[in-house]
Amino acid sequence: MDSLTSPVKSAHPEGTAYGTVLDADVALRFSTLDAEYEAIRERAALLDLSGERIIEITGDAASAFAQRVLARDVEYLTAERCMTSLVLAEDGTAVDQVVVWGRETGLLLESSVGGGTRLLEHLKANADAGVEITDRTAEFALFGLEGPYAWGVVGRLIDGELAALPFESVVDTQWDGVDIVFARTGVTGEYGYKVLVPAESAEQLWTKAMEQAVPAGQEAVELAMLEVRQPVMRHEAGEGVDVLEMGAGWLVDITKEEFIGRDAVMAAFEAAAERRTVGFSGGDTVPAAGTPVTVDGEQIGEVVHAVHSIGLGSALGLLRLPPDLAAAGLKLTVGDTEVTTLTSPYVTPKSWSTPII
Amino acid sequence: MTLEDLRAAAALRQQTCAQIKKMIVSRLDLPIEPAWITDDQPLFGRGLELDSLDVLELYVAIEAEFGVALYDSDMSVFGSVSRLADHVNPALAPSA
Repeated sequence: MDSLTSPVKSAHPEGTAYGTVLDADVALRFSTLDAEYEAIRERAALLDLSGERIIEITGDAASAFAQRVLARDVEYLTAERCMTSLVLAEDGTAVDQVVVWGRETGLLLESSVGGGTRLLEHLKANADAGVEITDRTAEFALFGLEGPYAWGVVGRLIDGELAALPFESVVDTQWDGVDIVFARTGVTGEYGYKVLVPAESAEQLWTKAMEQAVPAGQEAVELAMLEVRQPVMRHEAGEGVDVLEMGAGWLVDITKEEFIGRDAVMAAFEAAAERRTVGFSGGDTVPAAGTPVTVDGEQIGEVVHAVHSIGLGSALGLLRLPPDLAAAGLKLTVGDTEVTTLTSPYVTPKSWSTPII
Repeated sequence: MTLEDLRAAAALRQQTCAQIKKMIVSRLDLPIEPAWITDDQPLFGRGLELDSLDVLELYVAIEAEFGVALYDSDMSVFGSVSRLADHVNPALAPSA
């Protein structure tokens, strides 16, 4: 399957830095990480989410199939709602994290950035009779707006009433005369919105949106996600790592009686845990994944993933530790640096104290 | 701190977190085992998906269970179970 590229790439700012994220060629930085991060945390940022695949599930058995492949309960998901869910393999490991958009004719699954090919293959491998699975990615562009004042941008660009929709609402509406699907959902903890637009109008609408918000690339988005402990699948979901070890059990409805991976998740829940994930900060040097975590020279765990947090002004990352040490407020050594384990969120989003007016 | 000191500090936080999870499940009548909730799980919006009415219920429950009044409408208190633990058990707060 071809690598995804953005349909609005030609309208990206000059000097945009690109990189490969799994199956997608995405904008890593449009300008500077500092400027883009500042837009996400202080103002409003525009995201080009074209590295995510849009997969449609239709057919008489679509609803039953979705219930079987999604770890959360979508039985009553209407065309006006969306939700985030994990898709699990039989062994309880995560195939992908998706946003499920309710639609009149079925469901749309929005993959994680670069995770779409793996997701599509998994869905097709588990397809039932009466289900059609169609990759609609080429027909759309998906944009995001995130930030404490993203609601203002929604008002100026599309319709002010959309800004205050309840979380995870979906609306069919128009933007500059173009039919779009609008959702209130995001990943950075700030006010977040997504707009699914037809590919043929994407460049026109992206250019309009750039007049109102600062484009932010994948690096700034992943940093902001980590700061609020939103899973970044490509860093956190490794081979043999179950969702409880990831700390992503909240993306699984364990009260749902049947779905792929449920038995493995239940077995892991009932068994003695071997490792758990906890956040940490400290030091100026960003440790590589796999860097040992030690106490008095004894290795007790390792780094899962780390970055430099602009919000904290230090390294920020995740550790995998034995369950009896996976708690906030502990001083540990990562490499040669003393770090402190943290409570989530590691950075408090400004949107939590910024009303929509 | 030695490994045993660290384990003791972690156990103290995990006990408070477990008490909070049990309180949330009981007061809000959630159909899950308390241990299913993770310490870092967001409580509102994404995550446990509690709403503003649930907040009011939790204010009352926290005061009854921990003797701590949280009436300052600072939503960051509910950022996660572990964050809430910092507020209901001052011995856990980073400055302690």
